[in-house]
Amino acid sequence: MRDDSQSWAPPPDHSQPLHGAGVTVTRILPVRQTLISAPDILTRQPAALGWPDVATGDRYSLCLRRDRVLEINGPERAAGWHDGQAISDITDGLIVFEIAGAAALALIQRGTEISERQPSRSVQRLGFGTELMLYRWEDRLRLHAPRADGPALWHRLKAHLDLMG
Amino acid sequence: MSGRRLSQGGLIDRSRLLRFRFDGRDFTGHPGDTLASALLASGVRVMGRSFKYHRPRGLWGAWFDDPNAVFNVRLRGDELPNCPATTTALVDGMQARAVNAWPNAENDLKGGLDLFHRWLGAGFYYKTFMWPDWHLFEPSIRKMAGLGAVDGKAIDGYVADQLHDDCDLLVAGGGAAGLAAARAAAEAGYSVVLADDHPTLGGSLYQGDEPIEGEEPQAWVAAQVAAIRAAGGRILTSTTVFGLYDHGLAALAEDRGFARAPRLWRLRARRTLVATGAMDRPITFADNDRPGVMSLQGAAEFLGRYGVLAGQRIAVLSNNSHSAPIVARLRAAGAEVIEADPAEGAPRALGGKRLSGVQIGARKIDCDTLLVSGGLTPTVHLWRHAGGKLDWSAEKAAFVPGAGPDHMLAAGAANGTFDLDPALAEARAAALGTPHATGASGYRVRPLWPQPGSKGRQWIDFQHDVTLKDVELAARENYVSVEHLKRYTTLGMAADQGKTANMAGLAAMAAIQGRPIPEVGTTTFRPPFVPVPMELYHGTRRGQAVNPLKRLELEPQHRAAGAAMGEYGGWLRPAWYGPEDQSAITAEVQAARQAAGVFDGSPLGKIEVMGPDAAAFVNFIYYNTIATLEPGHIRYGFMLRENGLIFDDGVIARLAEDRFLISCSSSHVAGVEAMLESWRQDGNDPDRIFVHDTTQHWATITVTGPQARAIVAALDTGADPATLAHMTLTEGRFGDSPLRIARVSFTGDASFELSVPASRAADLWQAVLAAGTPLGARPIGLEAMSVLRAEKGFIMVGKDTDGETMPHDLGFDVPRRKKKAAFVGDRALQTEAANAADRRQLVGLRVADSGTVLPTGAHIVTGDGPQRSIGFVTSSYFSPTLDRPIALALLESGQQRIGDRVQLRHLGQSLSATVTAPCALDPEGERLNA
Repeated sequence: MRDDSQSWAPPPDHSQPLHGAGVTVTRILPVRQTLISAPDILTRQPAALGWPDVATGDRYSLCLRRDRVLEINGPERAAGWHDGQAISDITDGLIVFEIAGAAALALIQRGTEISERQPSRSVQRLGFGTELMLYRWEDRLRLHAPRADGPALWHRLKAHLDLMG
Repeated sequence: MSGRRLSQGGLIDRSRLLRFRFDGRDFTGHPGDTLASALLASGVRVMGRSFKYHRPRGLWGAWFDDPNAVFNVRLRGDELPNCPATTTALVDGMQARAVNAWPNAENDLKGGLDLFHRWLGAGFYYKTFMWPDWHLFEPSIRKMAGLGAVDGKAIDGYVADQLHDDCDLLVAGGGAAGLAAARAAAEAGYSVVLADDHPTLGGSLYQGDEPIEGEEPQAWVAAQVAAIRAAGGRILTSTTVFGLYDHGLAALAEDRGFARAPRLWRLRARRTLVATGAMDRPITFADNDRPGVMSLQGAAEFLGRYGVLAGQRIAVLSNNSHSAPIVARLRAAGAEVIEADPAEGAPRALGGKRLSGVQIGARKIDCDTLLVSGGLTPTVHLWRHAGGKLDWSAEKAAFVPGAGPDHMLAAGAANGTFDLDPALAEARAAALGTPHATGASGYRVRPLWPQPGSKGRQWIDFQHDVTLKDVELAARENYVSVEHLKRYTTLGMAADQGKTANMAGLAAMAAIQGRPIPEVGTTTFRPPFVPVPMELYHGTRRGQAVNPLKRLELEPQHRAAGAAMGEYGGWLRPAWYGPEDQSAITAEVQAARQAAGVFDGSPLGKIEVMGPDAAAFVNFIYYNTIATLEPGHIRYGFMLRENGLIFDDGVIARLAEDRFLISCSSSHVAGVEAMLESWRQDGNDPDRIFVHDTTQHWATITVTGPQARAIVAALDTGADPATLAHMTLTEGRFGDSPLRIARVSFTGDASFELSVPASRAADLWQAVLAAGTPLGARPIGLEAMSVLRAEKGFIMVGKDTDGETMPHDLGFDVPRRKKKAAFVGDRALQTEAANAADRRQLVGLRVADSGTVLPTGAHIVTGDGPQRSIGFVTSSYFSPTLDRPIALALLESGQQRIGDRVQLRHLGQSLSATVTAPCALDPEGERLNA
């Protein structure tokens, strides 16, 4: 057996923001993230955001697909099948980064094909080698990624920030 | 006399002097120069050596079409190999060295190889280096071959920036047509990106000095640039569109200076306009590779862009109408120009390393430079990348863009429109999507192709030393397809990818076969259009980012505890804790069996299936019957593929009537989720079943061993572990957080899987160790867990199963015989193959020698007659619990062989073992409830 501990740098400290030219990446901690699936979920939550919709405030929903939303800081809901909806708490399953600054979109364009001219009903996309939920929040961008991919995503963002000068 | 710098003209900055070295000699140039232009201006003729014969080579072209001047270039300690001299911008302090030449290009010791050219024709090494073994010759051939060598030192910070972008119209090429198109589209409101590989826009406009739309070329270009930018268009200079791919994706390489990695643009363009111009074709005649024989267009470019006159007494050999303005300009620049008609007779270049003249039929012309133009070839590479067809234009003696995808456009010289005003009109119309009638062309060309059977060595591919005779030889040996010709002779396979060679090569093959050129066709055009560094594709995806592992929430705790980390199923997980593996693994196994092991099982799948049809769905997905599972209970089961083979195993818990929790293998979470989603939408009502992967929301800590119950009891969970039966699940609290407690075992001892939201994992880990350490518990890694489960004969899918294993091979036979409901893989389990008597079945192996651990992978072989493999060892360890080796194996008719002695072979070693049941420890299962 081989000890690969030294081949992998310890996970980064997400508590300290990343700074680059015209852009800052910060980890944020939503109080709650809830996956809700239902055949009529977009009727129930018509305001669920796609791309390039702009979220405001603390509480909003993201459209993931035609039958699924991710509710951010919504009411506490019992997990399971209730009222025709499948509900799961995913608060700790997704790591959330906020990208602020004039070069925020330029940073994201390093990792995924995205343009404000190309709308999408869903905020889900592949980027930086992982699954992302990417959307605009006020004048910033936010992305949610699988928690265990957080260190790799942070590493890639930092590498791109270094390149951007 | 050879090239010289003029006192005026060109786009260079004469006020500054740049110093550089080439092949050990000092030279100077100016900002705006390339290495090639600066050397030409300094009178250097020999700038390289050919690949095979090491023939001296001078410049052919002025830009990407030059195959001859290839340098290793060093600047301030950074060295790059194989830099084309014609496209490498001169920087003060550069040290350049011609590749494939020693000690220098002018006097290359290997130049003597040319004396043996009669024996070194196309395919000679295929025929020569055969006996006794071609591998004997390989090292020498490799040493002789190749161009520049890397110096083995990575350049600091050489990382390609990569980005994505999009536009309505990508214009590839910043010449007259490209600029006109980009301006028209931008002013019409389109989002436009114009990319050109030169640092200065204008394309071939500087080759002549005629006004364009009433303005001088530089002024006209400046006006277009200003207008494009004013209209919101973007201009990328020093940027090559090197590939077009599906769905309008263009790949662009932006040069960022020497020793800086280029930037990769992945540009999604709704339309792409190819305005890449045209190249001058060589004329194939005897000794046409002499230094001093140049492209007419190339010489015009050196004059127009760099203020360099290629020679003083210049002969011009051209078959087309485009030569006249260039000849006039050369004369105006002070050259003595003698025009010759190729129809006068077969030409032959005279001289050695330096051209001394040209013989054309009976006429001999003394000259230091011979400029040739065999006609213009549109640069159609990008058109072909995108799947566009080519049409043969007999009038222009060239392939021009034919039918193409709707999003592809071509204009200007790239489209065969060689005259300026029609090209501008065509480009604007293409950009705006308006109809455009092609007018009569003023371009005139007399076809001038290689003449098979003619005398002398006539070069087709300058860099790879492919001659007309090589093409004739290939044809004689029946390599008549142009693709076979390419591979047999290596024609077009040099660094320039046949930009100068392909037309001559296929025309030669056409002439040899007596077929029209379009019937012979072209080879396949593939990206990249010009060589780009591999780094361009690499970018920030390097080191740990090449294939990043998923990281555990508890990794800091594991590292602090001295864990050796390793990759398991895409996660970085603790293999063992301590400096030395075997002693640590032994101690961990013993602790788990005697007290308790604490194991981070967070990657275990936690996929929820919910909805009114969830129960029927999981019953269909699983091999085992799940419909009867009661809420709060857990069942072990298999998921099969449709062919009946095991896809995954694990436990499934029923959380409620309409809610299940699938705990699949750690490495199979994504695959299982995809499989569930697939079946959910196939034959089921997707509105009544939903699948949520919550794996990463939960961290799972497994406590296993005789003290497990006491440890869990010591936690304030609100649940009583004493009342929790094996294969049941309950919910409790860990502080303010929800806690799931599952009584399920992968070790054979009483085990509890404790799951909390990942953000509470560290607190739970600390609490469990605080409660367990006084009782003898300790963290255990994957290796110890592998031993513990193997002692019980528990399998790991993918390790103890292979691509043929079905569940009944592992002893799970009841569902296939008795399960009435349909399930995935059912039909395949009833086939003849599935019921064959000699299927490989899971067994245990026991060795007589208690010190011998069987090698994993060792083959079990038949004992009599010719040996045949009848199985193999899948898992093998030394069991600290049993104080002897244990092993699991897949063995033909394994269940019937229990008690048999079998022979094993491994890397020449012979071993023996006795076949046993898979479970080596506590077959009655008493420890589970101890």
